[in-house]
Amino acid sequence: MTIKAKFFAYFRDLFGGREIGVAVGEGATVGDALAVLCDTPERRREIFAGDGLKPHLVVMLNGVPVQSLRGLETPLSSGDTLAIFPILGGG
Amino acid sequence: MPDFPISGFHGRVLVADLTRGEVRTVPLDPDTALRYLGGRGLGTRLLYDTIDPSCDPLGPDNAFVIASSPLVGSSAPTAGRGHMVFKSPLTDVIGTSNSGGTWGAAFKSAGYDALVVKGAAASPVMLDIAPGRAEILPADDIWGKTTHETNDILAAASEPGRPARVLCIGPAGENLVRFAAVANDRNRVYGRCGPGAVWGSKKLKAIRVRGREKICIADKEKYQSGHDQAIYLMKQAPVTKRLMRDLGTAGLVELINLISMLPHKNFQDCLHRDEDVERISGETLAKTLLEKAGSCYLCPIGCQRHTRVAGRSGGMESGEGPEYETMVLMGPLCGIYDMAAITRANYRANELGLDTMSYGGTLACAMELAERGLIAASGTGRGPLAFGDAEALEALVGMTSRREGLGASLAEGSYRLAAGLGRPDLAMTVKKLEIPAYDPRASFTQALGYMTSPSGACHLRGGYAVSLAFFGGAREIPRFSLIQSPIAIRNMQNTGILQDSLGVCRFTGYAFSADPWARMVSGVTGRDFSVARLEEIENRVATLERQFNVEAGATAEDDALPDRFADVPVVVEGRERRVTREDQERMKRDYYAVRGWDADGRPGPGLLRALRIEESRR
Repeated sequence: MTIKAKFFAYFRDLFGGREIGVAVGEGATVGDALAVLCDTPERRREIFAGDGLKPHLVVMLNGVPVQSLRGLETPLSSGDTLAIFPILGGG
Repeated sequence: MPDFPISGFHGRVLVADLTRGEVRTVPLDPDTALRYLGGRGLGTRLLYDTIDPSCDPLGPDNAFVIASSPLVGSSAPTAGRGHMVFKSPLTDVIGTSNSGGTWGAAFKSAGYDALVVKGAAASPVMLDIAPGRAEILPADDIWGKTTHETNDILAAASEPGRPARVLCIGPAGENLVRFAAVANDRNRVYGRCGPGAVWGSKKLKAIRVRGREKICIADKEKYQSGHDQAIYLMKQAPVTKRLMRDLGTAGLVELINLISMLPHKNFQDCLHRDEDVERISGETLAKTLLEKAGSCYLCPIGCQRHTRVAGRSGGMESGEGPEYETMVLMGPLCGIYDMAAITRANYRANELGLDTMSYGGTLACAMELAERGLIAASGTGRGPLAFGDAEALEALVGMTSRREGLGASLAEGSYRLAAGLGRPDLAMTVKKLEIPAYDPRASFTQALGYMTSPSGACHLRGGYAVSLAFFGGAREIPRFSLIQSPIAIRNMQNTGILQDSLGVCRFTGYAFSADPWARMVSGVTGRDFSVARLEEIENRVATLERQFNVEAGATAEDDALPDRFADVPVVVEGRERRVTREDQERMKRDYYAVRGWDADGRPGPGLLRALRIEESRR
């Protein structure tokens, strides 16, 4: 199946665009999709810290932070959208 | 003036009475300094001791106070902000507004901790302040000038090593536009609640300061330990390390849309096309109009946007902005996604001295009133006003500042505009202050912040729940928790009070919280300002602001969102969300309890005693 990954701020430069499609197997999780995306050491370094997500990073699945779902174990469905961005503030 | 017993303070308050044409220096009471610290805290106390909160905000009985803090004058990161407190002509409750730039630090170096301005002059005046000297000067020749012109004329008096810094109003303040701003460094503004109109009512055009008085640091080792920790943490956190410099606050635009919180057409919904939102994003701004980032005094973050844009009638214009709030409230809230038009309108608002937030909110309200047939003509010569009209956005900035045509109605703010046409429910305000660019239906915590902010709907005074709810804090506070929101928003409001009372920037909060500040302020003053003691000050200031508002006539009924947010849902995370009246009541009741106020939101005599809030000395 295919899901969409959307990037914000400096992740656009790191992943080479605003939005890309990611092919993952049936039953794949958020962690699996991120592993597919992080195909260089630099990308991996910016997303993962050990087995978990880096601090100061937010990953949302269809607008919901994955931390409030099942984290990296959250299962994906075809057509889902993952949004990846650094913690950002303003106002 | 005797030596002041607490390091970091000069021990002097400058009091200008414009009715009498007198300026005098009075000693700062050391107990007041210890209990209220500086900035917003000290300013609120001095205002409460100066005016009757029920006074006419545009009459001579109103006053304004600008207060500095013991950290201003040290090397503490971002510690150069000033805080202004007054009774607001827009909201009729306490007006409290804050600005970066360089004026706040220059004022402290002129040898004062605070300035109180009361009365009203008969003809235009300015204040000229230097160490040991302060005078009221005629200002007829600069009355009518823009903030940029005024700044440049008065700053020409700079001397080597002693630059003159200028705080001033533009034509909007002179014309008593209820949301007029006060500017320094041309584009850094005390924006919210209409301080510019208070200045205009006093015929005060500008305050120029020059000085090089230093402060002493009592315990350098302690100060340095807090300072070094703060700098280290700011270099670690992405927001303070690079994101603000890369994208500015408008970097939030696409993200706030992603979480269904980006308001549209006077808060009728939160629905936008992604490609429209991209046109006004921080990323697009950085790639197109941005020339360079800039910084306020002693700030390593650098969120300022110095931009260039094609003028509507040819040529290039340059200026500052837009920031997130301006981009959204002058943009999608008005159905507009034209970044160039928003940028030019932002430039004009800065020059004429208007709060871009209340202007955007008021224009969106007017657009809805027009589409419902309640406003016949825009007066811009372009037919009726409608959502999406970017030319009207630009034209009406000047008309509002001059109170021309429809601009005269816009100058009154959304609430008075809509109420005057029989539809107060179409004003998206709390306590008559226009709601910032985060839809409260997408976060109960943010909703409660708007409801209970002392100055009306303000994300900076009411608590900035967006970061708490989504950006990394999601594990702690779900954004729709009725139970957790009251304590969460109290804590966020208190953090804001601390930052405003220390004269430091909100954005430091993305890197660290109270502990480094506690060490820095303890080091500067030589007194023990533990985190717990700072919390006492925060609670004292919050309750004094509330007491001011109670005496100004505000009641619990004013702590409510407009009907639209209770009646019309938006879809968030696949579910319809609104903030029902019952939910508002429940959160409000719990919030009052957390603050120690009674069921009607009033601080009782026992609480005032416990917090050592004395009666007004006026």
